[in-house]
Amino acid sequence: DIDPESLLPKLPDPDELRPFPTTCATIFRGHEGRVRSLSIDPTGKWLASGGDDGTVRIWELLSGKQIWSVKVASDEPANVVRWRPNAEAYILAAAAGEDIYFISPISILSPEEEEKSRAILDVGWGYAASSETNGQSKKETPAKWARPGARLEDQGALVRVTVRSTIKVITWHRRGDYLSTVSPQGQSSAVAIHTLSKHLTQLPFRRLKGLAQSAQFHPSKPVFFVATQRAIRSYDLQKQQLVKILQPGARWISSFDVHAGGDNIIVGSYDRRLLWHDLDLSTRPYKTLRYHKKAIRQVQFHHGGLPLFADASDDGSVQIFHGKVVGDLMENATIVPLKVLKGHTVKSELGVLDIDWHPRQPWLVSAGADGTCRLWN
Amino acid sequence: MASTEETKTAQVRIQLTTRYPDIELPDDPGPLLVSTGFRRYALSTLVNNLLQTERPVPFEFLINGQFLRTSIDEFLTANGISAETTLTVEYVRALIPPLHVSSYEHDDWISSVDVLSGSSPAVREAEEVSSGQERILSGGYDGLFRMWNMSNEVIATSNAPDEGGHTLAIKSVKFISPQKIASSSMDRTIRVWDYSEESATLTPTLELYGHKSSVDSIAVHSQSSRILSSSSDRSVGLWTTKKSEAPSAPENLIPKARNKRRKLSHPTPSKTGTQRGPLSLLTGHTDVVSSAIFSPTDHTVGYSASWDHTIRTWDLTTSACVDTRTTAHPLLSLAAMNGANLLAAGTSARHITMIDPRASATTIAAMTLRGHTNGVVSLAADPDSPYGLVSGSHDGTCRVWDIRSVRPGVGEVGGGQVGESVYVIPREILKEKGKSKAPVGGEGLKVFGVCWDKHVGIVSVGEDKRVQVNKAGDIIRT
Ligand SMILES: [Mg+2]
Repeated sequence: DIDPESLLPKLPDPDELRPFPTTCATIFRGHEGRVRSLSIDPTGKWLASGGDDGTVRIWELLSGKQIWSVKVASDEPANVVRWRPNAEAYILAAAAGEDIYFISPISILSPEEEEKSRAILDVGWGYAASSETNGQSKKETPAKWARPGARLEDQGALVRVTVRSTIKVITWHRRGDYLSTVSPQGQSSAVAIHTLSKHLTQLPFRRLKGLAQSAQFHPSKPVFFVATQRAIRSYDLQKQQLVKILQPGARWISSFDVHAGGDNIIVGSYDRRLLWHDLDLSTRPYKTLRYHKKAIRQVQFHHGGLPLFADASDDGSVQIFHGKVVGDLMENATIVPLKVLKGHTVKSELGVLDIDWHPRQPWLVSAGADGTCRLWN
Repeated sequence: MASTEETKTAQVRIQLTTRYPDIELPDDPGPLLVSTGFRRYALSTLVNNLLQTERPVPFEFLINGQFLRTSIDEFLTANGISAETTLTVEYVRALIPPLHVSSYEHDDWISSVDVLSGSSPAVREAEEVSSGQERILSGGYDGLFRMWNMSNEVIATSNAPDEGGHTLAIKSVKFISPQKIASSSMDRTIRVWDYSEESATLTPTLELYGHKSSVDSIAVHSQSSRILSSSSDRSVGLWTTKKSEAPSAPENLIPKARNKRRKLSHPTPSKTGTQRGPLSLLTGHTDVVSSAIFSPTDHTVGYSASWDHTIRTWDLTTSACVDTRTTAHPLLSLAAMNGANLLAAGTSARHITMIDPRASATTIAAMTLRGHTNGVVSLAADPDSPYGLVSGSHDGTCRVWDIRSVRPGVGEVGGGQVGESVYVIPREILKEKGKSKAPVGGEGLKVFGVCWDKHVGIVSVGEDKRVQVNKAGDIIRT
């Protein structure tokens, strides 16, 4: 008899796939209540976090020292924080309720950086003023761009954009001028694309089939991905048309991420699935992984050149995978589970709510319902 | 076959030697016949008898450069040495476990520490620091550094931001001389201060601008008035502390108070005419530079370690990078061993890599020191030995290493020789709380800085807001 297992291609030994995160190196304590979101800045030195206490905080990544904070909401969680993906200036986008704040955390900036950041945020005021006088009525604008007031401006929150419904997702375009927000309950305004240099908000999808869950820009092409509960659609932004519909087979998608090459997508779902799609192959997933006992909240590729990806779950764990994408159309990605990172405690059925990879190092950060962020290396 | 009885009584010829004149045997007894069952303790007793010491002095023994940790018989077997040969056995004073001496409490996390004593490089021959008059500098995340005397008293504190002090956390502080101090900060500046012992005052004299991000470490060379700095902006800075020789500061990096809000974020320099720029900025690293040091033998040579995995050698006269060594991990700290051509680099992967920076060296990593359970962020060489090193880690411990205490690394990443620490120094606060094991991620106990002074001992600082002094008994190497 031949053991059928022996006919399967052998997966590489995880030890040979180092480096990848294995150990909790730092615990970031300070938030009162859940930490909802976190993001490492493009230089890789600072961690930003947002939580149920309505604060946005910045920490020194290795030491875990909190060095800056601002309270952006008194009655709502700071649900999302995302650094602008460009190291020339420090700008943090943070969402609480229906508001997005663009923050330039002045105390860690050099005068030069502060000036650049301020210029990037201020350039749109003139544009917005001129388009308003051109007859566009305020009623029609899908979002209101305003100065957030002296208290917040003194702390570096220089611009506030208010949309119609609570924002759950922010994703930046790689150049740092466009960003997209997703407000799942927003119906026709659920997905918005904002242009920072023009202080302009557009609603590209008047009708979406299902509740919007997440959105992403293609890493190199003018293509935009939108996930509803069951499907991920890609759109050509220039031709304004639907390109492809992916059917991961999950009942409720929570998040997805596009590989730097643009042809592979990972999808996480509340029904505990992690799915890998190869866009060259099929609209169905190439691989379905079911390791978690509870919902998967977040998935992310390492975007700094390492063949790694990770997911975060309400079971309190983060799982690290090797995921090597090969250029060859005929060859599939090699996927190897590497490590389960445990440490966050589950609070009221909620575990790890967000993760982010370091821009270059094999380091990961996670945000927990237990009120902590953790650095794993 | 030899019977068990015979094995037990087997003997081996040893020749005792030492490189320390004060413990040399008065009359060379020549080769001695000892039992192969002898271990360190029996050999130590033998040497004490030969020396006729009044009180027993604990000795350690080296055979072929390796510490004897087993019986001689087991050592011979493990190393494939015949019992027929005469063994050369070197003896040294045993390191005495460093004991806790005192703790100095702060209000905030402490990032860095330096010591001034009679043996400090910052003290010139003409000057003197008598015993008991030593000073400790501690740099804090509160943006201030403090000068302590040996009686746990703060005798001077650096200025507040609106009086010429740092506006963000201090990352490094060093004595340049008994009257001069340099500090670096997350606020992107290095500041030079005059210290007066009579009035116990610190006066800011220079603000050095040039780095575009946090200045995470500085090294000083007192005789040439040079400072070498490393920054998150991926560059290494070379500076002079002589105002007249320093280039002017880059205008775009000096904060200007233009409105109220900006004034809050970047206080106006308190004095005009004190801002200066770098002699040069050395570029090449592709990630955060965690540490930069002068070569201990030639101050025109600098070394830097970076998150980009490399150690670079710089010719500071021409500002040229003359060598790049690539390791396997992000590097978080760097120190040069005293009197040996070795650099020690601490990694985020929880170990220390020993590197021979000479161009002639063929291997990348000469040795790996393992034992820490979190990133190794600070290193200091033993002031008295070319083999000794102390490391400070985010795991909440300092470890003392003797690079002669090694075993061959079989099947481990990197291979080569693997060293194990001789002593682990935990945080005293952990003992006070009745615990023995550091919590996950060294939380609350992370060590950020460590310094090893011949007179004061091993001084370490960290997240527990304490300056902790540990000192071995005087017997260690007098
Ligand atoms: Mg393919």
